[in-house]
Amino acid sequence: MEIFRPSEKTIRILQQLALAAGLFAFILCILILVNFYQLKRVDPLNSPAMKVMIERLNNHPEDEQLKQEIRELDLLARKAFFANRWQIKTGGYLLAFSLLIVVISLKTIELWRIKHPEIPMSKPGSFWDQRMLNMRWVTYSGIGLIAISFLVAYLSHQQLGEQMDRMGLKPAQLAEEQPFQQLNTSASDSNLLTGKDSLAAADSLVSEAQGAIPTQKEINENFPAFRGIGGNGTSFHKNIPTKWDGKSGKNIKWKTAIPLPGFNSPVIWGNKVFLTGANTTKKEVYCFDLENGKILWITPIANIPGSPAGAPKVNGETGYSAPTVATDGRRVYAIFANGDLAALDMDGKVVWSKNLGQPKNHYGHSSSLLVYQDLLLVQYDQSGNGAVMAFNSLTGKQAWKTARDVKISWASPILVNTGSRMELILLAEPYMISYNPSNGKELWRVDCISGEVGPSAAYADGIAFSVNDYSKLAAVKVGTPNSILWENDEYLSDIPSPVANSKYVFLPTSYGMMVCYDAKTGNKYWEKDFGTPTYSSPMLVDGKVFQLDKKGVMHIFSPDKAYQSISEPQLGEGSVCTPAFSEGRIIIRGDKHLYCISN
Amino acid sequence: MKKTLTLLILICLNLFFSWNAFSIQRFPKPEFESGYTQPDTLMPSARAEILAYMDVAVLILALSFISWLVLKKRSRKGVFWTSMFSLIYFGFYREGCVCSIGAIQNVSLALFDSSYTLPVTALAFFAIPLIFTLFVGRTFCAGICPFGAMQDLVAFKPMSIGVRLNAILGLLPYLYLALSILYAATGTDFIICRYDPFVGIFRMNASFGMFVFAGGLLISGIFIARPYCRFLCPYGVLLNWFSRYSRRHMTITPAHCIQCRLCEGSCPYDAIEIPVTETKNHDNTKQRLKRLIMMSFIIPLLMVVGGYTGYLLHETLAGVHSKVRLANQVINTEVSPLKAETFEIQAYKSSGKTQAQVLKEAGIVLSKFKKGSIILGGFIGLLFGLLIAGKLLKRHNPDYIPHKGRCFSCARCIDYCPVKAEN
Repeated sequence: MEIFRPSEKTIRILQQLALAAGLFAFILCILILVNFYQLKRVDPLNSPAMKVMIERLNNHPEDEQLKQEIRELDLLARKAFFANRWQIKTGGYLLAFSLLIVVISLKTIELWRIKHPEIPMSKPGSFWDQRMLNMRWVTYSGIGLIAISFLVAYLSHQQLGEQMDRMGLKPAQLAEEQPFQQLNTSASDSNLLTGKDSLAAADSLVSEAQGAIPTQKEINENFPAFRGIGGNGTSFHKNIPTKWDGKSGKNIKWKTAIPLPGFNSPVIWGNKVFLTGANTTKKEVYCFDLENGKILWITPIANIPGSPAGAPKVNGETGYSAPTVATDGRRVYAIFANGDLAALDMDGKVVWSKNLGQPKNHYGHSSSLLVYQDLLLVQYDQSGNGAVMAFNSLTGKQAWKTARDVKISWASPILVNTGSRMELILLAEPYMISYNPSNGKELWRVDCISGEVGPSAAYADGIAFSVNDYSKLAAVKVGTPNSILWENDEYLSDIPSPVANSKYVFLPTSYGMMVCYDAKTGNKYWEKDFGTPTYSSPMLVDGKVFQLDKKGVMHIFSPDKAYQSISEPQLGEGSVCTPAFSEGRIIIRGDKHLYCISN
Repeated sequence: MKKTLTLLILICLNLFFSWNAFSIQRFPKPEFESGYTQPDTLMPSARAEILAYMDVAVLILALSFISWLVLKKRSRKGVFWTSMFSLIYFGFYREGCVCSIGAIQNVSLALFDSSYTLPVTALAFFAIPLIFTLFVGRTFCAGICPFGAMQDLVAFKPMSIGVRLNAILGLLPYLYLALSILYAATGTDFIICRYDPFVGIFRMNASFGMFVFAGGLLISGIFIARPYCRFLCPYGVLLNWFSRYSRRHMTITPAHCIQCRLCEGSCPYDAIEIPVTETKNHDNTKQRLKRLIMMSFIIPLLMVVGGYTGYLLHETLAGVHSKVRLANQVINTEVSPLKAETFEIQAYKSSGKTQAQVLKEAGIVLSKFKKGSIILGGFIGLLFGLLIAGKLLKRHNPDYIPHKGRCFSCARCIDYCPVKAEN
């Protein structure tokens, strides 16, 4: 078959056509590059003339002529913009078309031009030489790649890994963490430890699960704050003793003197019990061995930058270390009457500390601390500039701060799971206010309280309870919208906090009364006069209510419609603090000693 | 005077705007006083599923045809025009998607993420060319892949780049493949698609940088034939491996090679292997066995070194992920709180998440990258070991033959052979 052979003239024409099209494409590229460069320098939407005219319009909003001028300018700018778009599109197509002509021309020439294969002049290279050369350069490339990788890894060292190591985060473990559980004060948790090995298992659990954030399981196994889990007067522990005698030593496992006084309550994590003590010159954090009561360490809290030189003026019934510590099993956190706030690791070493400013509080600061995930929550209501704050538990850096338009409060916050979210609930005249503990945003508030507020709120089954002397007991339906379900002012408390479950709310009074109301309706079921003043808050644990009076008598009764006393053991020493619970144990701070009660 | 000034400003603005191109900003919606109602913006409907299967059918038919052209017809012109068809259909008509190269990522994501459903067509585009390669060699590269077709079109003055450069650049596709699998498996990004240089040309829409990259590849492709296919394409790695074991493959001569040397310079891809007739000490059985035993220790060592290198780089590699990037920004914000906040930081603060939650999410991603990077490094180490070991194998071949792995079956060399098929 005879192949078409174009003449040399035809080939020259194609070459000239390719050259012309190529030159045209080159010019187009130059123009596009110039336009692109100019675009980077200018912002057409913010032209100075438009800005000037808009500013004039703001000063003279009724100038119709100016409005018309702006509209005309805007229309012109839009036309210019769309003209540019057309230019870009058309230029792109012209560029593509011209390049296509170049390619077609050159490819046609290539196809038509006869190319005879030729024997290369040089001898073929040695196969083995080429192979060895290739192998050497593959090796060199490999070595170079490793060197470059090491260099890149060194130069681009990230903080993320270090930060996570410091926080104890283990990625593989994090993925297995369970979501936050619904707190149920009446149901028995199947994960609770039982038997004599509970402490050993708890220690093992603590050592194995030392992530930066405590899991809900860990929290349920321990007693991390004032009034237990979330500060709400409950814990999940079982086998709590109901009989002991301080005088005879019956069921008193150990008794240890506390170096400095304080009205804060014990907190337990693993086999460690934490307290603080303070006087006008010293502030200390204590750690006791849960098994034998020995003091494991004492850490003085001093020399904090910004800490005031003199001791604050406090009431004798508040003292210099009324707030109870909080812990997450990684660190223990303490606050004192002068505003000193410190975080210590579990061996007593100060991790971080700061001063929040001496609070303007005529009785002395007494709001206890709470921990939520990696945040330390601080209620800091004072005379003016009241606030609730959160600090990063690892670093002490303030995570959020929300100002509070309330009066001084001596109540402690509670942290509850209302089913749909976590809520941080605070009491102070005149409001009960709920916050998002993650970011400090207010969720809702109710005007329901007055006076100098000392009792903390109680929560159960969607209802929060507030009470104060010379005010009233109120049941608030939480959430948005919220409402006051019922109120009662027959019996009131000024220091101890109420405790509630889904059926009842138990209200202690500082003069020794205990009253039981229906949680939903406010109907009073019974009242009982213990005859002794009470500053300790009741605890609802192991299916019983534990109420410690000032003389050290523990009134234990059933949480029922009718009062039914179980026992009334005596400590043999006065107490104003709320007890802490562990499996099979009660830890009570007396006036001068720390007691461990166990069967 | 006031009116004159306004007109002057308008004239200047007119001249000013006429020089602006590539404007990527949009004007705000105007407030019409005439009662004009702007029509709603409609999203284009998804392509009909039957058309996707039609693409698969076209792929199969085209592969069958090109294989026949290469193996039976032995026609360079046929291959060329088939590649033009593929360039038009799979390139400009289908706009470069779905393509077999990007399908690697779909398959990787499906293997490691149970929540992802792999489209059947993506699996087909991934598997069918590999199956054909296993039987007839890399005919997919010859005339079906639109990327290769475009590069083949501009290969006017191809020249050899030498053994050294071939050795160095030849490693890039393996790295690209490993990285693309790592990023796809971790759900981070489809980097093959994101940095595809030719899709922008097919769609006439891309960032300026990608246009420059594509232009650079095509310009270099005038002298270095098919630079993307040889030194970047991750799918080419798989095709290379499959082609080595292909049942049949294109040959230069239809009969017996007469060693005339006419085809020696015909291949623009340096894929023709010269005859090996000399006998060297390499053929000594004892020495060869000794070298292989030595390699059996070196290869595991290289894998360990590679794995450790990957471990060192895992944070750097993970930095591309949005969650890791956010975590780094959160930490940097704490370290330098006076810096201007990015959008990510602002979004993070408004979401109510704590720092620990952000770090937790980043930690999970980091954990995946740690494992993936170690595997990646081990794979690269194994690759180097096998490449070196392959150079030590015995080789004896008296003819000029195309390298079954590197050959694109483009049929250029066929026309150089003076030997005719035997009757």
